[in-house]
Amino acid sequence: MSVGRFVLKRSLQGVGVVWGVVTVVFALRFVTPGSPINAVAPLDASQETRQAIAAELGLDQPLYVQYAQYILDLLAGDMGRSYIRGQEVVSLVFSRLPATIELAVAASVVAIVLAIPLGVASATHRNEPVDYGATLVSLGGISTPNFWLGIMLILVFAVEFDVFNTSGRGTDIGDVVLAIGGSEPFVGALLSWLAYITLPAIALGTYFMALITRLTRSGMLDELGKGYVQAARAKGLPRTLVRYKHALRNTLIPVITVLGLQLGTLIGGAVITEAVFSWPGLGTLVIESINQRDWPALQGSLIVIGTGFVVVNVLVDTVYASLDPEVVNE
Amino acid sequence: MISRLVFGVPTDTRKDIDRRTVLTYVGTAGAVGLAGCAGDGGSDGGDDASDDGSTETDDAADADASDEFAIDVTMGQMDSGLDPQDHAETNTEIIVGQAYEGLLDRDKAGGIIAGLADEWERTEDGSVRFSLRDGVTFHNGDAVTPEDVAFSIRRIVFDDVGIVSPQSNDLGSVTEVTPGDGAVTVSFEGYNPIAFQLFATNGEIVQQSWIESNDGDYINRNTNGTGPFRVTGYDSGNEVVYEAFDDYWGGAPAADTLTMGASSESSTRVNRLLAEETDIVTNVPPNEVSRVESADVASITSVASARIIFLQMRYDVEPFSSQQFRQAMNYAVDVESIVENVLNGFGAITSQPTLEGHVGHNPDVDPYPYDPAEAERLVEASGHAGVEITLQTPIGRYLRDVEIAQAAADQIDSLSNVSCSLEQREFSSLVQDITAPNIEDRPVFNLLGWGNGEFDGSQTLTPLLSSDGALTVLKNEDLDALLAEAEQTSNPDERVETLQTANELAHDLAPWVFLHQQFSVYGVSSEIEWEPRADEFIDPDTATRR
Repeated sequence: MSVGRFVLKRSLQGVGVVWGVVTVVFALRFVTPGSPINAVAPLDASQETRQAIAAELGLDQPLYVQYAQYILDLLAGDMGRSYIRGQEVVSLVFSRLPATIELAVAASVVAIVLAIPLGVASATHRNEPVDYGATLVSLGGISTPNFWLGIMLILVFAVEFDVFNTSGRGTDIGDVVLAIGGSEPFVGALLSWLAYITLPAIALGTYFMALITRLTRSGMLDELGKGYVQAARAKGLPRTLVRYKHALRNTLIPVITVLGLQLGTLIGGAVITEAVFSWPGLGTLVIESINQRDWPALQGSLIVIGTGFVVVNVLVDTVYASLDPEVVNE
Repeated sequence: MISRLVFGVPTDTRKDIDRRTVLTYVGTAGAVGLAGCAGDGGSDGGDDASDDGSTETDDAADADASDEFAIDVTMGQMDSGLDPQDHAETNTEIIVGQAYEGLLDRDKAGGIIAGLADEWERTEDGSVRFSLRDGVTFHNGDAVTPEDVAFSIRRIVFDDVGIVSPQSNDLGSVTEVTPGDGAVTVSFEGYNPIAFQLFATNGEIVQQSWIESNDGDYINRNTNGTGPFRVTGYDSGNEVVYEAFDDYWGGAPAADTLTMGASSESSTRVNRLLAEETDIVTNVPPNEVSRVESADVASITSVASARIIFLQMRYDVEPFSSQQFRQAMNYAVDVESIVENVLNGFGAITSQPTLEGHVGHNPDVDPYPYDPAEAERLVEASGHAGVEITLQTPIGRYLRDVEIAQAAADQIDSLSNVSCSLEQREFSSLVQDITAPNIEDRPVFNLLGWGNGEFDGSQTLTPLLSSDGALTVLKNEDLDALLAEAEQTSNPDERVETLQTANELAHDLAPWVFLHQQFSVYGVSSEIEWEPRADEFIDPDTATRR
């Protein structure tokens, strides 16, 4: 099978997954207690008012009609209108998505930049102080709840030392990019962006960093003990070349898989970090939508999250296939 | 001090998939080494420039003059859209209420004051007439007309005008709205004794032509009101940025700009205040109060709100069908202890459904004292000794609701002849049962809070305790008769007396365990002077710089 067909096959499977997400989420609204009407109408609203609101929202239609209408609208690119906010779900979701992607990518960068060198150093200095230190850091990262870490980071670096902002998004990466060719100072825009993104990125990326560190360390130890490494060393190749070109390259295959899966998880699962830092991303929207039974907004968010997850996984599979062509034929 | 040195007012003004959004995606990719594009530095954050002059999202909020008086408010939750007539909840009202106004308004204590109407009177046939203030304009510069006012009220009341407004519940008895020469006359089904109270809380005025020329999505993202602030930036779910409306009829507010944001985490709100990133934060929990008070950059200010917290007991189910048992529950709960220990004193003990200061409050009715022995005696007398009951409570809906319910359930459970357990429920799920059409489907024993924005006892007694009330747990003919009498009388003094009698009766019937009046607790920056309002609305236009 060619890589192209492999990607196509994975993509079609992804479409099925997204359709499954749509259907399951749609079905959930009928088995979950609570109604969006209670989020729209006052508690003492009369039954007539409740019925009028239900009719306006289309909730008085039979289940199959609502489902069919939703799928048809979705195929036309229309995710409907938020029950609570009255806004188009497409614009609502896509106005939140950049914040989530930005945070997920920043957290991944924090994790990768720290984790891979730390993992490699830990493996190449096994049972030395560097290894103990890296192990301590990674164990701490794995066992620290990110909401607690987030609050501590805010207390220390925002409230006490006043270096970063406590919460919010403020300047986004788009402003930084605009500043490259614009009249605003680029450095100022960059610092402004960093002031908001740094703490949530660290809070979210710490667990991820710890995970990758452990994975890199064990992978490197595994590879360094293999025969091809000894053969390469016996041929006289420099230690650095053997470690970083051969051993690390093979170590990165499982690391990239985990990276991809975790990135998808970060896109959909940064809920707690977003809440602690008032980060206006999709996770916050999902929680608000669940609490208010705002089904169109919830479905729209989950479709985008599901699609993002699928896309990331297809990309990971593609990279994986390019690193290890045997995968395509399995 | 990176943030202090280089950051001004947040400039986030995303509304739609515009160029900035695209650049954001590009920039995100750039962060991992893929970006290679640059913009021209323009700033057209608005999604659709309008030629009607209404206020829209733009980058005007970027201005950061050194002498600018900017106020930042952090609430617990953002708005549910900017349409002033298509919502029925406090956070949205606070956000849209900066830009929109009604015919009447309220002062800090909840008293009725002039709004867009500078005179109001009752006509001979029982209708009410509002004379509009001269020279008032919408933010787009157009004058407010009686036709706009009539349209606004009709849009709330009549479904065929455009939307099904949740506010129709309050103004639903309006039958006709007639614009006249500089005035509007509103007629009701029969005589409405609280017409002015209703219009002091509801009925924000919109411009008919602006509403009719825009769709719902646009109206929920943009504003065109008459209020002291005009919206300059709207980022759904994140923040709303305003600037002072210089042509405001009451004079431009002291603040040049206003930013309303939200953080669901109370600790984050407090941290924002202590880091001097915001000036007013709402709902400071009791456990955070000392942290704010010990800081020199902020202080705590509180006010008794219009919200009462109580435990509902359904009259038609044993053991709550017994008046003695219901009274026993009131004797069993130590409300004073709950207020002191759970709420750190931020609450006032209640004795009746109507709060002190509201129309119809009976000052002669005392709260049930904490008397476990009397409670046990009444339980025995009711014939329900040994009964097991379960108290249901929402999670996180009201200030320390779970802790309050836990304390109350423990105190009831400590009686020798009653066992009480607690069931925590998500609010959306619990409220579905509480609002069930038939009383048989409602919870038997639950904690609930009720805000009375009209400051009139009938607005609590009727929906919650009359036989036909939407949320009632009681059926009592005497109480029904008193409420009907209060609804029909045109003599205000007589009406107050009737409501006071109804409150005394409600106290004796004990359909609730009367808990407390909730306080609104705010953290306020030391750099500003501001006093909170009793109706939970936040009015930064009254804030001044110290």
